This record gives sequence, C-alpha cells and structure tokens, in this order.
Amino acid sequence: MSADAELRKGSAETLVLALLEERDRHGYEIAKLIERRTDGALAFHVASLYPTLYRLERRGLIHGRWVERAGARRRRFYRLTADGRRTLEAQRRSWRAFFTALNRVARFRHA
Amino acid sequence: MPDFRALVRARLGPLRLDPARAADIVDELAQHAADHFEELVAGGMPEADALAAALGPLNGSGRAAAEIARADRARRSAPAPPPSPRGVVVADVWRDARYAVRLLARAPGFAAAAVVTLALGIGANAAIFSIVNAVLLRPLPYADPSRLVVVGGRGVDNRAGNLGYLTFVDWRARSHAFDELALIRSWNPTLAGGEGPERIAAMRVSANFFALVGVAPVLGCDFRADEDTPAARRVVVLSDRLWQRRFHGDPQIVGRSIDLSDGAYVVVGVMPRRFPPLVSEHFYQAAELWAPVGYDAAQPFACRSCQHLKALGRLKRGVTIAAAERDLGDIQAALGREHPADYASESGVAVVPLADEIAGAVRAPLVVLMGAVVFVLVIACANVANLLLARLAARERDLALRAALGASAGRMIRQLLIESAILAASGAALGIGAAAALVPLVARLTPVPIPRLGDAHVDVAVLAFAAALTAATTIGFGLLPAIRATRFRPLAALAGGGRSSGAAPTAVARRLLIAADIAIAVALAAGAGLMIKSVGRLLGVDPGFDPDHVLTLQLSLIGPQYAKNETVVAKGDEMLARLRAIAGVDAAALAGQIPLGGNRDAWGFHVEGRRWTADDPSVERYSVTPDYFRAMRIPLRRGRLITDADRATTTFVMVVGDRTARALWPNEDPIGRRVRIGGTDGPWFTIVGIAGDVRHDALAEPPTLQMYTAQAQLTDSFLTVVLRTSGDPAAIAHEARQAIASAAADVPVYQIAPLGDLVQKSAGARRFLMVLLELFSGVAVLMTAVGVYGVVSYSVAERTREIGIRTALGASRVDVVRLVLGRGLALVAAGAAAGVALAALTTRFLQQSLYGVSATDAPTFAGVVTILFAVAAAAHLVPIARATRVDPIVALRQE
Repeated sequence: MSADAELRKGSAETLVLALLEERDRHGYEIAKLIERRTDGALAFHVASLYPTLYRLERRGLIHGRWVERAGARRRRFYRLTADGRRTLEAQRRSWRAFFTALNRVARFRHA
Repeated sequence: MPDFRALVRARLGPLRLDPARAADIVDELAQHAADHFEELVAGGMPEADALAAALGPLNGSGRAAAEIARADRARRSAPAPPPSPRGVVVADVWRDARYAVRLLARAPGFAAAAVVTLALGIGANAAIFSIVNAVLLRPLPYADPSRLVVVGGRGVDNRAGNLGYLTFVDWRARSHAFDELALIRSWNPTLAGGEGPERIAAMRVSANFFALVGVAPVLGCDFRADEDTPAARRVVVLSDRLWQRRFHGDPQIVGRSIDLSDGAYVVVGVMPRRFPPLVSEHFYQAAELWAPVGYDAAQPFACRSCQHLKALGRLKRGVTIAAAERDLGDIQAALGREHPADYASESGVAVVPLADEIAGAVRAPLVVLMGAVVFVLVIACANVANLLLARLAARERDLALRAALGASAGRMIRQLLIESAILAASGAALGIGAAAALVPLVARLTPVPIPRLGDAHVDVAVLAFAAALTAATTIGFGLLPAIRATRFRPLAALAGGGRSSGAAPTAVARRLLIAADIAIAVALAAGAGLMIKSVGRLLGVDPGFDPDHVLTLQLSLIGPQYAKNETVVAKGDEMLARLRAIAGVDAAALAGQIPLGGNRDAWGFHVEGRRWTADDPSVERYSVTPDYFRAMRIPLRRGRLITDADRATTTFVMVVGDRTARALWPNEDPIGRRVRIGGTDGPWFTIVGIAGDVRHDALAEPPTLQMYTAQAQLTDSFLTVVLRTSGDPAAIAHEARQAIASAAADVPVYQIAPLGDLVQKSAGARRFLMVLLELFSGVAVLMTAVGVYGVVSYSVAERTREIGIRTALGASRVDVVRLVLGRGLALVAAGAAAGVALAALTTRFLQQSLYGVSATDAPTFAGVVTILFAVAAAAHLVPIARATRVDPIVALRQE
C-alpha cells in the first residue's frame, strides 16, 4: 500500500459514507458519483474502491447485500449502518474544524 | 458480451479467502467492470478499447487481489483521523513522526535497506572518527600540551633528531624560548627479585622531565636536580603498573631499595595510573620505570657528537615554533663555529610539536581512512536518496491528494524530512552501536602500534560527530526528494493513473546520484587497488636474508656478573652450544641487532688514510658470531666471513655490506683496508669480506650502509639469538628458552618471534590500511551495484510500454538488451570517467603509504574501472531479463 494511503483512506471513507447517507447504492454507482461530483479530481476504479467498501463493511459502518430486481442484473447494494452514520457525523465535524482552522490561517476559500 | 467473471478472476489471481466469499467478490467486481464496459461502448468507444479500460486497473496486479483480500479480512481498527486543527508545531512534528514510523513500518524492505545502508555509512564514520579523535584530535594528557615540543638536530625528514649531552647543556644555558628543556634516553635494566629476572622497559630522564610534562608522582616525590648527577642518580620513579605488578601496590614502597642490573636503586616515587608513557612508547618502549640521566661533562659519552639523547621542551607562553627554531638555530650556528670538529657542516635544528611527533607516522593513513569513510557515507546517502526518490514516484498520487487537501509545500517537506530524519537516526543508532563494538576490536587487531589507540572509544565527541553526520545526511538525502515532492501538479497526478507527471526529472536525479556513486566507488577501489599492489610489491622485496624457518629471541647479558667482555663472550658461546644441541636447530648465532628488529646501531666510519671529518658516514653495525651469516642466509660476495678464529687477541676484522663497499671504495678493492669506528681512538678493523646488503629499517627502505664485526672482538651485551630451524621455528621456542636458562638463569629472555613475523610486521601498517580500504571499497562497490540495479530496474519498468512498442515493431531481444544496457552503461561510463578523475585527485593522499607503485598507476585504474563495469553489467542482468520478457500486448494495454 502506498504511503499517504492513510489520509487518502480517511477521505475516501468519508466520501463513501456521505454518498450512502442519501440512499443505498452499488459500487459502480458510488465510483461514478465521486468522479462526477468532484469533476474528475478524485477518481476511484475497481481496484481502489472495493477495498474501501470491504473495509467499511468489516468495521460495521456499512452493510452490503445482493439485490435481484426484475429486468436488471444482480447487484450488491450498500447501506449505511447506525454506526456508520455516527462515524460520518464525527468525521464531518472533524473535517469542518480542520478546514475552518486552515481557512483562518491560509485564507483560501475551499469549494 | 465478454465473460467478465472469467476475465476478472484471471486478472485477480488467487484471493486466499473462503471460496464463497471469493466468488462473491469476483461477482461484484465483474459486475462493476461490465457496467463500466457497457457505458464506454455506449459512449462510442470500440469494444477492444472499452474492455482494456474496464479491466485496466486490475491488470498486472496480484496487488489488487492482495489489497482486496486484506481489506476484506481487516479487523476493526480506528478510522484514519483527519488532520487535527490544533496547529501546535511540536504536536504536528510528533504526529508527523508517528505517521512516518507507521509508513516505514508498512514498507519494511525499504526501511531496512535504508537503515542498514545508513548504518554502514554512519557506523564506519563513527568508528574511524573514534580512532582519529583519540589519536590525532584529543590533546595529549599532559599539562598545557600545546606548548610541548621535541627539539634536536634537523633530520632528513625534518624531524628532530638526537643530540649529544654537551650540546644540550649549551642549548639549555643559552636559549630563551623555553620554560624547560629536558633530556631523555632509552634504558633497559633487568629487575631482579622474587619472580625471576625481568627486563624492564625504562627511560633515563633529566630531573625536570615530569615537571616539563606537568604530571607529578602520586606517591613520594619527583626527582631533585641534585639527583641528576653520576654520583646521586641511583633513584627511580615507578609506573603504577610496575608498582602493582612487582610490588603489589605496597604503600611503603617509597624509600625501599630495588635491585636493577647495575646495582641497587632507591624508589622515590610512583606515577599516577593515568600517566600514559607516550613519550617513551613513541621513541623507545612504553616505560615502566624512570631514573635520572645523571651525566656530567667529564664522561666520555657526554660528548657533543655522542648523539644518543633526545630533548623535549616546554615553550614559553607566546613563543611560536618558528621563533623557538630561530632561537636554537642561532645558538647551534654559534656552537658550530666554536666547535667545528664536533658538528657536521649542515647541522640545522628542528622544533616539532610533541603531538605531531607522536601522531606523525599514522596521521596520513588516518586522514586517508577518514576520507574513505566519508566517501562511503556519501554513497550511502546517494543510495538512500535514490530509494526515497523511487518511493516518491510511487507516492505521487498520495502527495498530490495531500496538496489538494491543503497541505502546504512546507508541511510536505517537513513530513518527508521527518521521515528521512527517522531513517537517519535509526541508521545512526545502529551504526554507533556497531562502531562501539568494533573500535576496541580494531584497536586489538592493529598490527602496528598506534599511539593512544587504546584510548579510542565512542564518547561524547564521537556522538556529537555522529549527530552532526546524521543531521547532514538527513538533509543530504532527504531534501532532494522533499523538494521534488512539492513540484507535483496535483490535479494531473490525481486524474492520471499516478504514473504521469514528474517521473522524468526524478529519473534524471536518480541517474546523477548513481553516476556519483560509481565515481566515488572507483576512487575508493583505486585506493584499495594501489594499496594491494603496494603490499604485494613490498612483500615481494628481497630483504637480503631468508626469514623463513628462523626464530629470534632477545636477551641481555648485563649486571656486575657480566662486567667483563670475556664473560659475555664465554656465556654466549655456552648458550649457543646448548642451543645447537636442540633437535631441529641447523644454525645458532648471536647478533647485537638484526634487520627489521627495530634497533639502530650506526657508528661513525673513518677510513684509514682519508681526512676525518664530522661528515664521515654512519654505518649500521652488527656484532655477530660466525654462524650468523649461515643462520640468516646472508650471502658472501667476496673475501671471507667472520670465523671462530677471530678472537679478542687476533686482528680485529670486519665484513662490510655491498653498498658500503661501493659507496666508500667506488673504484678500489676494500678488502685489506683498515677503518676505525665510533671515536677516533678505537682499534683498527681490517676489512676481510663483502656480504650482501639487508633491508634494516623496513622493507620499504633501501639498504643502509652496513658492517659486521665479531662479537668476540667488539662485544655487545644486548643480544638477539638467531636460530635457523628445519621445522616450524615457533615449535622450538620453549626448548630454546630452557636451553638459555640452563646456561644462565639470571638472563631475561624477551621478544621471542619468528623472523618471518618481523618481515610481515614491516608491511603491517600498509596491510592494515589495505584491509580497511578493501573493506570500505567493497562496501562502496556493493552499494553502487545495488544502486545501479535499482535505477536500471526502475527505468525498465518505466519504459515497459516503449519496449513493448519496439518489440511489436520487430525489435529483437538483442535490440532490447542493447537498449537497456546501452543506456545503463552510458551512465556507468560517465560515472567511471568522473571516478578516474576523482581518484587521480585523491590517491595522492596515499602517496606516503604506497610502495613501488605510482599514485596514478594506470593498470590499477584500468583494473578498477573494469571491475566496476563488470559489477554494473551484472547489476543489469535481472532488469534485462525482465525487459526481454515484456509482452507487447500487455505493455500496450497498460496505458
């Protein structure tokens, strides 16, 4: 695993949790959404997204299950758990405090 | 529609998970890839391209599988915390440090390689610096040591030579540059007593010697000036060691009488334990006993030309070496005018700092070694910088993300420098540990006495030095990668697969570092090569005698019972008779001194019928029994050797060395000529033969002027027994000792050594330097090979696509090999060229230690460059093998 993975992992996890807060989604959808909403600045592909998802699932923050709908393929959907919701809130607070502090010093307006 | 499940499974490789779970994962990833593929095709992309894009991230990667499996197995652990808003620098640094440790722990191979490399560099430096510090830098352990000097007649090498007693007396009376001037001379009394006779290394000193060095006895008192006379000089000061060893630390020792070879002496004092006998050790042997010189002007050996004394001085405060030299020079010039018969026409004076005199011979080799280990450290730093740069290339995306998330350039530089600092500190800790263990070992293994080497240890100065090195190396190898890291274009790096930007400049930096590695390795290896050649040449020198199968023992026939020459000669003959009776002894002889034995016994040499001057040559004298030439296998050139018929009552005879014959009788036959030696009133010696020359001082020194006299005619009391044996000479050492004891129980025997050992010892200093340089250059070459391997592998990996295209376009394997090797060897060639230039600049510092080889010996340089090329080419093998296996299809898909 590469070096600053810790930080990337932290932010990737927050992104995934935030997307699942809105509704249940499958992996491909999550990847597409991250790419679209960051205008391509952040991109996940199959080899980087799934380890994040499995890690979150292992930690009980999300829960995945196979869903078969008529006329569509069998997909694995992920849902945010109560633990996940709490963690997301905690991470939001943390990041907000960080950006506020950073902004106070560096005076840049983040998107 | 392709079978994505099969495609994913093929690319993912084994997951090492429970099969049901593995199947689940494959299903999920296949689903993802299928979605991606469909979308791309829908967007108008050709199917083949869409397939490559959808599966691309899984290509060439057991890595993806490993990561997925690891994530799926991951135990619950704290989520990675976002950066905390508390911006206290210390806390930040602490966090960075912990973060760095975590990162390094995850890359144990990298961390271990970096730490071990640095430990080698820093450890070698700490070890050699410990020695340099103890031997060269630490002030002498005497009072105000910077004012201590050696004074004497200026020798050929500008050192202070010996002087006669009357000269010294005049210098002391007339000079104004010194607080004190003191005399010393060697002395080797035999101490009688309970544990048998023992020859003691001792020194005769003028009464002010201890005051001059500024150390007082810890027990009793110093010599008084009135004890420094022929009548009152039977007083001694003991070293702590001798006091403990022979007198069991007896507190009542002061005032007691002890029995030395020439009578009873009264102990007046004991020196402190911390009084290293550096002066005696340097000029003679480490003294355990001191007594006053006790000369007066009336004695025959007190004359001006009786140059067997050495003088030390303590400069007056504020007086420079040059001023003291002028002062003594003027005095000496006046003495030359007053006593023209006693001084050679060109007799200058020399004033040399005592510290320089003591460290003199080892200074140049130590400076060379210090330079060599600094080279090793530079290579270590270059290699670690290389490792860091390679790692950086892999970390680009992460760094870019940090930058995008607001990490400032300074913050990122700090993070990387902290990482370097942790590596450097770990390397330093390991290196210093190794140095602490190694220094005493080196001190023990040194074949040559190095003054104060025993004091070498890792101390505060060494730790400070290592800390400075660590700081310098941290910045040295950490800054370049850190600066590189801040130059990323974050968005580009994030959007691309992480292999796009910045790679080329990093590669250039890495290639430059490797070229520097090679250059330094060439210079180090050239130094080692020159030393190997020197030692080889030196051991190949014909010493003029055959050292194999010869045992030597030293003994002294002194004391009242040996006052008469006849007694000494008779006792010597008796010993030889008993020694010859030992089985395995082919020849036995006595000699006043032997070549390479560390003695000098040069006498003034005056030829009959020529004008005698103070400039008459000094000739090395060996007082020998007849069998000496047979025992040593010194060839007779002409005339005859000394025989048993040459006795005290017959004509005094002499055999001269080849060089003496040619130098003094260039166009005449010396046989039959008569000479006087030493003073002008001794007996005439008739030259009867000419023998081959021997190397006396050292193998590296050309033969001196030499002569042999008969022990029966000019009798020496300090003797070396020379035994030629048919078997291993060391095997009969015990029997030989017993034979001597049976002839004379009161004679101490010391320094028993095969003559071959003395020959080896004569090459010892060079061999020591050679071994260490070999070691350091070996490390350097190895590190360089690893560095070359790293750079070439990296460049092959980076150029997989290019190689693939070339192969697809019809390039053969040979072409690929040529491509990889060509670029690599161009780098090696550039490095080697710089290395030869560097070597030419640096090997001249070895000059003093070289023998029979020039500092820029072309064959050595060529050999070293060849070896480096071979090693570098070998380092290419694995990357080349990898390059020739590149599958063009796979390579092209990678993009």
